[in-house]
Amino acid sequence: MTEKLALVWPEVWLFITTCVVMVVGLSPDLRVRRLCGWIAGIGILVAIGAAVPVEHAGGLFPAITPYAKGMIGVVGLLLLPLLAGTVDRDLDAAIAAGKARFDALRANRAEFYAFFLFSLTGLMLTASADDLIWLFLALELTSLPTYIMVTISTRGTRSQEAGVKYFFLGALGAAIFLYGFALMYGATGTTNLAEIAAAFKAQAAAGGINPIGIAGVAVALVGFCFKIAAVPMHMYAADVYQGAASGVSAMLAFVPKAAGFLAIIFICGTVGWDHGPTYDALPAPIYILLWVIAVATMFTGNVLAVRQTSVKRMLAYSSVAHSGYMLVGVIVGPGPGGSFWNNGIAAVLFYLLSYGITNVGTFAVLASIQTDSGDEADEIADIRGLHATRPWLAGAMLLCVLSLLGLPPLVGFFAKVGLFTSAIAAGEIPLVIILGVNSAIAAFYYLRIARSAYLEPADESVSTGPTPVPQRAIAAVLSASLVVLLLVVAQPIVERSVTASGYSPPEVGLAQDGPAQTLTVADE
Amino acid sequence: MRMTTITEAIISAALAQHGSSGAGEAVAAHAAGVAEHAGAALTSVDGPMWLGLIPLLPLLGVVIIAILACFNDKSKLPAWISVGLIGVSFILTLVTYLGWDGHSVIHTRLWEWIGLSWGDHPGQTLSSGFAFYFDGLSLLWMLFVTGLAALIGLYASEYMEHDLGLGYCRFFAAFCLFVFSMSCLVMGDNLLMLFLGWEGVGLCSYLLIGYFYKKKTAVDAGMKAFIVNRVGDLGLLMGMLLTFTTFGTVEYDALFTQIHAGTTASGVPLADTWQVWAIPLLLMGGAFGKSAQMFFYVWLPDAMEGPTPVSALIHAATMVTAGVYLVARMMPLYTADPNHVALTAVTWGGTITAFWAATIAMAQYDIKRIMGYSTISQLGYMFAGLGVLATTGGVFHVFTHAFFKATLFLACGAVMHGFAGQLDMRKLSGLWKIPGFQITVIAMLIGCLNLSGFPFTGGYFSKDMIIAEAFVTPDSVIWGSSWAGWLLLLTAGLTAYYTFRVFFRVFVGPVVYEPGEDLHGDAEHFHPHGPKWAINLVLTLLAVGCIASAGLYFVGGEHGWTGGMVHASSAVVETGHGKHGLLFGKNPHEIMFYISAVFGFGGILLAAWFHGPVGLAGLLIGNRTKADVVRMDPIARAIRPISTWAEHKWYVDEFYHLVLVTPLKVFAYLFSWFDKLVVDGLVNLFGGMPKVGSDVIGETTQTGVLHDYAQRMIAGVAVVLVVVVLVVF
Repeated sequence: MTEKLALVWPEVWLFITTCVVMVVGLSPDLRVRRLCGWIAGIGILVAIGAAVPVEHAGGLFPAITPYAKGMIGVVGLLLLPLLAGTVDRDLDAAIAAGKARFDALRANRAEFYAFFLFSLTGLMLTASADDLIWLFLALELTSLPTYIMVTISTRGTRSQEAGVKYFFLGALGAAIFLYGFALMYGATGTTNLAEIAAAFKAQAAAGGINPIGIAGVAVALVGFCFKIAAVPMHMYAADVYQGAASGVSAMLAFVPKAAGFLAIIFICGTVGWDHGPTYDALPAPIYILLWVIAVATMFTGNVLAVRQTSVKRMLAYSSVAHSGYMLVGVIVGPGPGGSFWNNGIAAVLFYLLSYGITNVGTFAVLASIQTDSGDEADEIADIRGLHATRPWLAGAMLLCVLSLLGLPPLVGFFAKVGLFTSAIAAGEIPLVIILGVNSAIAAFYYLRIARSAYLEPADESVSTGPTPVPQRAIAAVLSASLVVLLLVVAQPIVERSVTASGYSPPEVGLAQDGPAQTLTVADE
Repeated sequence: MRMTTITEAIISAALAQHGSSGAGEAVAAHAAGVAEHAGAALTSVDGPMWLGLIPLLPLLGVVIIAILACFNDKSKLPAWISVGLIGVSFILTLVTYLGWDGHSVIHTRLWEWIGLSWGDHPGQTLSSGFAFYFDGLSLLWMLFVTGLAALIGLYASEYMEHDLGLGYCRFFAAFCLFVFSMSCLVMGDNLLMLFLGWEGVGLCSYLLIGYFYKKKTAVDAGMKAFIVNRVGDLGLLMGMLLTFTTFGTVEYDALFTQIHAGTTASGVPLADTWQVWAIPLLLMGGAFGKSAQMFFYVWLPDAMEGPTPVSALIHAATMVTAGVYLVARMMPLYTADPNHVALTAVTWGGTITAFWAATIAMAQYDIKRIMGYSTISQLGYMFAGLGVLATTGGVFHVFTHAFFKATLFLACGAVMHGFAGQLDMRKLSGLWKIPGFQITVIAMLIGCLNLSGFPFTGGYFSKDMIIAEAFVTPDSVIWGSSWAGWLLLLTAGLTAYYTFRVFFRVFVGPVVYEPGEDLHGDAEHFHPHGPKWAINLVLTLLAVGCIASAGLYFVGGEHGWTGGMVHASSAVVETGHGKHGLLFGKNPHEIMFYISAVFGFGGILLAAWFHGPVGLAGLLIGNRTKADVVRMDPIARAIRPISTWAEHKWYVDEFYHLVLVTPLKVFAYLFSWFDKLVVDGLVNLFGGMPKVGSDVIGETTQTGVLHDYAQRMIAGVAVVLVVVVLVVF
């Protein structure tokens, strides 16, 4: 128990911070309430500090937590200034004008930051998961706050509609993967991931994995497709991203996706990448499933992004496509290890970081622009000619979309190179070609954003101005500079991602004894 | 190697004991020979980290000046920052030199720059540190690069003062970036660092030639320099890649060890491979591009469009010598070829260029362009020197040339600065008598004496070393080496002629002047303004440097100070001393002092006769009384075809335009049609497919209705389950 506690110190810190934020946000004094964001930031910093020293956690991916939690913390820190000023701005203005009095029941600031921190806590817990129950609870803790954040993020009905859609479909997705978990439990008699892996191994050695178990893994993976917005669970993405405030959309594009990929990696880890005729792939059904999902996701995301006129919807579909890219890394698996260039899991982990940071930048640019009606920028027309009016934002947008596109020498390029080389090393040439074709399609809509911002004159019918929240522009510029600066320190990060991807499959025969357990409620 | 030596010594001793003395002696002699060679190899010491400051301080200058530019600084601060930081770099270089033991290589590795490995075999690991390699050669180069850059930066602080503000910042930022790149080029301990610097100096050269970016000729000249250099760089790049594939390394130490061992990375004897002559030839292509030799020379005269300090530093003293540095650095590779193919090419390339450029210089009227052609010609001497294995002579000439050519350019710059951009020798005369120009004239005279090889100047000694060695080196080693010597000797006379043609016409004689095109205001009331303290100080220091450089011939051993420096570097060549060929029955080294003095005097006297003014300033044989009427005119008219051709640079530019540019333009036109019709058509076709697909899928799936989405999710799960069941059972 205490060993497990040492592992979840970052989550504990985040939880304590959450409680503090909730209380502080109820103060009638605006200056005190404004501390919420700062406290949250300090809490995340402390959590990063607590996450990094952890070295060996046991389980299938013993070294994944420091990297994963560090990444979660860093992107969380970037998201924080972007989320600033999302709620309560009207209320604060009304109070300042003397038209209203502070009412703790109407103010949302405390909840908003607290839910954000809860979601991050859930995400970090996902990274620490070594058990199906734990994994399910962590995933739900990640997602539940986001349903509310989507709903309260703007005052319009669109975000309420988005929140409702997101909640119902999310519940459906959760039900699906929980069903998969149940099947896995039924096939192995345990909920501990390492034990499941050992049981699968023993079954495979004895003639074949129990079909119920395979079906469970497959269903669970399809359920996770909701978290990462992959086919066939991607439909909600565009509507929800568009309906939510840009800051929340940015969060949706990273937090559930990271949780989903961690879960996918863990669940794939239970069946292992050592099946098939040459013992170097996932079991055939899972392999085919992921292959089809990856290809369908890439094409669907990119093809649908092409026709969008709303930047947010475009980014939503591009987020779908990025999930498809990363699934290629999952299919490849950890490879022989030791090098970034043939390790699909390390590539996915690095890609998540690169995508998270870049993605914050693009949404932050949108969040920093306000149209006449008071909404955040959304349509392509809103960012036309941005270069002339707000050169810093246009520059940030340019860098971020080019990085998302994977143009050298930005960080997105290195992330994508990792996926390409690991897939080539694993001999997945068709996937590599499809990945290349999709990157080319993606160029169409990413470059359209760049062209609108730089080459086209501003639409006269659309007038935009800055959002009265300067932190968002700072978040945009910060992300864009990280897109460039990460290159300088890419080497240590890449090395850490390689360490983090270390996969320790169980030895055959362990199923009978079972490895030493720390926290499991598996009870037959 | 030492192991082998000991083993062989033991074997030879054993053989001697057994009485087979003949074989034993042979092996023993061989063993002794190997030992001697091992002793001659340079030892290696680790240098301190602060050596990294030498290139990084100028880079810091770039950053600071860029920040100043952001604040729209209008002071002379960028100049002082540049001069200060480059000055510190110079002092650090000097300290390094003083602390150097004279026979080791100082290695400093700052960080691992590139480390790629795709296998364990030789040639499958490309590693290159951001590391420095200090032997005599790089130290010598760094001393004059940083020293001259600091001085010329000081000069430019005054020269560029008409452009205070953003232009000033731009100039000095590029200036500092140049010093950084040049330092990387010279100090780098591998070919990749050299390449980094090589491209960096090319970029800075482009930026600075096109400094007056509103002037079309300047922009064109910048592009021309860049493009012509690209062609040469292709050779360098291919040479580097071949070096890597052949030797499995690009780091000098490992490379020289490998060459010394005489095999490629895969163990094939080097002399049997085609790479042994191909690599040096390709590297020579890069060197000739950067140093404006042979076919590549066309960019350098046009590069004179840049501000004069740039011409002095980059296009005369330092950057253009990078090619010479490359060949000198890679000397082991050049001498590894038993047939000396590349060295012969270097010799003749240099010699022909030296002669060719001198003939063009004789017919030009723009004094700065004359200096430009003279630079090409002198670079030809340096290459010829390297080619005939007179590395010391070639390198010494680089060193003396750096000083006297910088002096000449800066003196021309002072004239240009004072006369609103006027450089036409037909419109200027008698500067000696115009107040404020005396220091300029004296510096010019010292520079001219050096350039024309007047006895006991630095240029005299360095040029003689090259020409003498051309006669010494047997024709069997370098094909036609003595003929190259004769041509170089003739060129020395031409050099003296065109140099003093400038001096006699512009700097002495009757006072005549017309302002140039940069005049702001009334030409009637134009008054030339002499240079102020910064320019005068730099000219004085450089003139002193020119005189002092001659002294280097006499200090430090047989071949002077340079000889010692070269001897402690990879450029050292063991020439066959004692096997001197004879010239007029004498030792060429001795007799060359007299012969070349005769040629030098002859050239000066000819210049005085044709262009000198009446009186003492014309050596009593001149008769010029106007600025634009000289004795040469009737002769020039008589040989009009030749003189016109020379004035138009033998129409080489036009020739290139006809045979290279025009066909390329036609091809470009054709390809652009192909591109529009076929390539764009295909791209649009494929680009249209996702769009069509997008419309089809989008119309049907983007409904926004909750239960549609939920249905499809469930359908997806159903499909998955069906697939799993089908695959598993």
